[in-house]
Amino acid sequence: MTFFLQQCLIGLTNGALVALVALGYTMVYGIIRLINFAHGDLIMLGACLALTLVTGLGMAGWTGAATWLGVALLVVLCGLFCGGLNVAVDRLVYRPLRNAPKLAPLVSAIGVSFIFMNIGLFWLGPADRSFPELLPATNLFAGGGLQFTAKDLLVIVVVVPLMVALSVLVKSTRFGKAMRAVSQDTTAAALVGIDVDRVISATFFVGGFLGGAASVIYGLYINTIGFQMGFQNGLYAFTAAVLGGIGSIPGAVVGGLVIGLVRALSSAYVGERWTGAIVFAILIVILVFRPEGLLGRSTKEKV
Amino acid sequence: MSTPPLGTPDTTGAVAPWERLIAVIRERWDIVALVVLAVAPLVLPPLGGALGGQVTTLFIYCILALGLNVMVGYTGLVHLGIAAFFGIGAYLFAILTVPMYPFQMRFLTAAVVSALATAGVGLALGAPTLRLRGDYLAIVTLGFGEVVKVTLRNLEQITGGMKGLNPVPPPGAGLTIGGTDLGLAFAIDPRWFYYLALLALAGVVLAMRRLENSRLGRAWVAVREDELAAEAMGVSATRVKLSAFAMSSAVAGLAGCLYAASLSTTADPNAYDFNRSIMVLCAVILGGLGSIPGTLLGVALLVGFDTVLAPWADSAIQQWNINSSGSSLLTFSGWRLAIFGVALILVMRYRPEGLVPSRRLAAELHEVHA
Amino acid sequence: MPMTGRVRIAAIALGMAFMALVGGCRPADPTLVKIVSSLPRTGSAKQQSDTIVRGIRMAVEEAGGRVGPFRVEYLDLDDSTAAAGQWTSEAEAANARRALQDPDVMAYIGTYNSGAAKVSMPILNLGDLLMVSPANTAVGLTKPGLGAPGEPEVYRPTGRFNYTRVVPADDLQGPLSADWAKKRGVRRVYILDDNEVYGKGIADLFDERCRELGIEVLGHDSIDAKAQEFKSLMASVKAAKPDLVYFGGTTQTKGGQLAKDMASAGIDALLMVPDGCREQVFIDSAGAANLEGRCFVTFGGLPPEKLTGKGQAFVDRYREKFGELPEAYAVYGYEATCVALQAIREAGVKDRRAITDRALAIRDFDGALGSWGFDANGDTTMRTLTVSVVKNGGFEFEEILDANPEDPAP
Repeated sequence: MTFFLQQCLIGLTNGALVALVALGYTMVYGIIRLINFAHGDLIMLGACLALTLVTGLGMAGWTGAATWLGVALLVVLCGLFCGGLNVAVDRLVYRPLRNAPKLAPLVSAIGVSFIFMNIGLFWLGPADRSFPELLPATNLFAGGGLQFTAKDLLVIVVVVPLMVALSVLVKSTRFGKAMRAVSQDTTAAALVGIDVDRVISATFFVGGFLGGAASVIYGLYINTIGFQMGFQNGLYAFTAAVLGGIGSIPGAVVGGLVIGLVRALSSAYVGERWTGAIVFAILIVILVFRPEGLLGRSTKEKV
Repeated sequence: MSTPPLGTPDTTGAVAPWERLIAVIRERWDIVALVVLAVAPLVLPPLGGALGGQVTTLFIYCILALGLNVMVGYTGLVHLGIAAFFGIGAYLFAILTVPMYPFQMRFLTAAVVSALATAGVGLALGAPTLRLRGDYLAIVTLGFGEVVKVTLRNLEQITGGMKGLNPVPPPGAGLTIGGTDLGLAFAIDPRWFYYLALLALAGVVLAMRRLENSRLGRAWVAVREDELAAEAMGVSATRVKLSAFAMSSAVAGLAGCLYAASLSTTADPNAYDFNRSIMVLCAVILGGLGSIPGTLLGVALLVGFDTVLAPWADSAIQQWNINSSGSSLLTFSGWRLAIFGVALILVMRYRPEGLVPSRRLAAELHEVHA
Repeated sequence: MPMTGRVRIAAIALGMAFMALVGGCRPADPTLVKIVSSLPRTGSAKQQSDTIVRGIRMAVEEAGGRVGPFRVEYLDLDDSTAAAGQWTSEAEAANARRALQDPDVMAYIGTYNSGAAKVSMPILNLGDLLMVSPANTAVGLTKPGLGAPGEPEVYRPTGRFNYTRVVPADDLQGPLSADWAKKRGVRRVYILDDNEVYGKGIADLFDERCRELGIEVLGHDSIDAKAQEFKSLMASVKAAKPDLVYFGGTTQTKGGQLAKDMASAGIDALLMVPDGCREQVFIDSAGAANLEGRCFVTFGGLPPEKLTGKGQAFVDRYREKFGELPEAYAVYGYEATCVALQAIREAGVKDRRAITDRALAIRDFDGALGSWGFDANGDTTMRTLTVSVVKNGGFEFEEILDANPEDPAP
């Protein structure tokens, strides 16, 4: 039983991280129907910056409250960096393609992803790099036989508030309303006076900011970064977004958690080597029975 | 787009000979390309060597891309897992030919059987999933690709795991013509494979042309343009999509056979991963969806860049001794990804319908803008 | 549509081509021999291959760029692609064909990955081109009866030999590692591998030997080298309570990440890894603190700092030239090149078969690795294995394991 709980705990923690990345996909998809292939690599660049900052500031030597403040600073800085980069890419690459054939932005996104990877290659070098352990490795559940350390806690501590903030932003603010309007019908939104381009830019910024936050957590939680990390990251996160119903914010969260759990449990009970296959097989089966994803709303085809 | 309608008889009258030549090349690009490619290895020595082997790989990818084009270009279904079918074709072909298994079929039989069986796998995946909307279908194909890769890797008893199936005999193994063993000839001189792949490619191009203008081909396009309208006209969208899926898989499977035979191994399952699917998809879109010359050009540019140009540029840099410090900033492959990315973005920015848009698609776009 | 006309033209063109297919080689430069290497030069194995290439270049430079009557040119080929980030069959096959078709190429130094050797061996075999690998350790490449059925004959379509390696194979490393574990008092092991030719091969041999020795094997699983973390896996390992975790794999296939996740799962068992992890990058990527004193690394042959004679001289020159201690495989790149150069010199003619035969006939080679020779399979007779432990952020020599106790270690 402890073993099962331990695996669930790992699965949920991993899943929360996947969910945070998935939000970046789902927001951009929700608003311009683009699978943003470069999102994973954006996070990789965020992690590069985080590593540079950690080394530059000598954060490995910090202790106690300073460490946690430092982590908060990292989250903000990397979030701003990734958000800004995402907006710039949208401005330069995707915006001119708003009326182009549907697959043109997709291929451009793949192009952006290659460019990001090349930047990462020069930034980090070809080999994986170790991300210093900043948080104490003490077990918080010392008595119960479960392993749950400060860095596992960090994932929850950062991810949950960000998700709550995001839901509030989308549901209860003017900007959120504008965002939902653009998502539903761009032309109509423009007609009622919404600055569509600004809303799209802001969405890219928010998605990128979450990605930047994810990159810091990734570094602190996984402790290894490399120029190719964006691909796997993106693959699972994007799958999570689709599984939950792409375009739906709670869907991305649920999708991420489901993927995290499936991965942990299949590693524990089927074998590590099959995890990749099981995650995607479950995805296919779920989509066959729920073609709009777990929480996606079915849209009627307009004639 | 300023692609002049092909075949317009404007080239009469007083036209300079080179203009006539250009017109002929435009009109008959296929024959010109075929003749040039057929003669090239005989007059250009590098093509008879290692470069020939790389160009062979290029031909195989062209076939794969033409297969993908059926789904993405003609039928408008985004497919992110074509490499899985490429791999299934390669492994089936290997199972039918390697000495480890009792079948040991001849090249042609094995190729036909495995291409058909790959089509069967395509049908099995397509039947339950084709009712999914656009991007959901895309993710199913992506997921299928991952499942296939992991399965190939783990079913070691059948697929050889990471070792792959090895050695796949060359075509014509055991046949002797004029005292030379055909199999050995294939193994030693890359030009044999070059011509085999060229022949297969020419055959696929020919078949695709026929299909484009057939009833089925028009049904594919009808479903792409407006599924509801097509249904209203009595076209069964599901059946049409399924046939596209099967055709796509079969052609990809055929490419897989050639791939395994030319490498003499199935290679390891990582050769059939998502990267490959994406590369081929980019090639098709870059060249022009639904356009045969576009698809071929797209592959020639993208895959050629990666497998022919980049290694060549790297060794050239090395031989001229430009890069004595060994810095990766001064190698060509260090910049490979960025060059690739910029090229994709620029083409999509300035020619969003591809380098050589399909005539049908281009016409429609113009209609819309007019 | 004039289809038939097109078909006819196409058929004629192809027919002409087929008829003219016989022969036609580029004239070779009689005073030039080329040595090529095929190693993963992009992606995560670059650091290791950089040092091998340095070793090769040093050997060529020390020979003064000449061997016998020939000028020597060295070409550094890449068998990985940026897109894949590691070696690919396609790139390796292309390199092998390129070498085969170039009449000046007389030796092929490679490959780094055993899986890649399986692709290029049958191709190079057709031209009798000498292949000297500085790093392949999979047993099936040379040793009859130890690999998969049909190995190694399938890699020799002509039936003749052309492959040699200067590094001891895994039939030594895998079992001796298990013997060492037994001696150390290990009773329960958990075995992991990366599902690659090399990693899985060595882990299987380790597994087999453990069972023979009565060490309990608690589990044996393969990881996905593309996965990013192994926290769930490590929870399973922890629940099994092993004394030692063995990982058959390399730094490039996530050796460092495994060690990291092992530590953060709170497992205090020993960790043992094979030579694929014996590089500084492994320690850097795992975090030295996670390995300190508990990670043991086996390596075929002696580590750079233990080399004597010519080996020591090589290490000194290397350090002088590049300002750092060479990685473990650098000296193998150097030795492989020296072997190739000696074979070319002894053959004295630009004939691939003659050169290959010369190399295969080497029985006493006095080189940087000590005194050794090739056996009938093209394997090195060197049977020394060393165990190092990670201490103070580096590898520290622990002991020499010798396969033949009656044969004293060099």
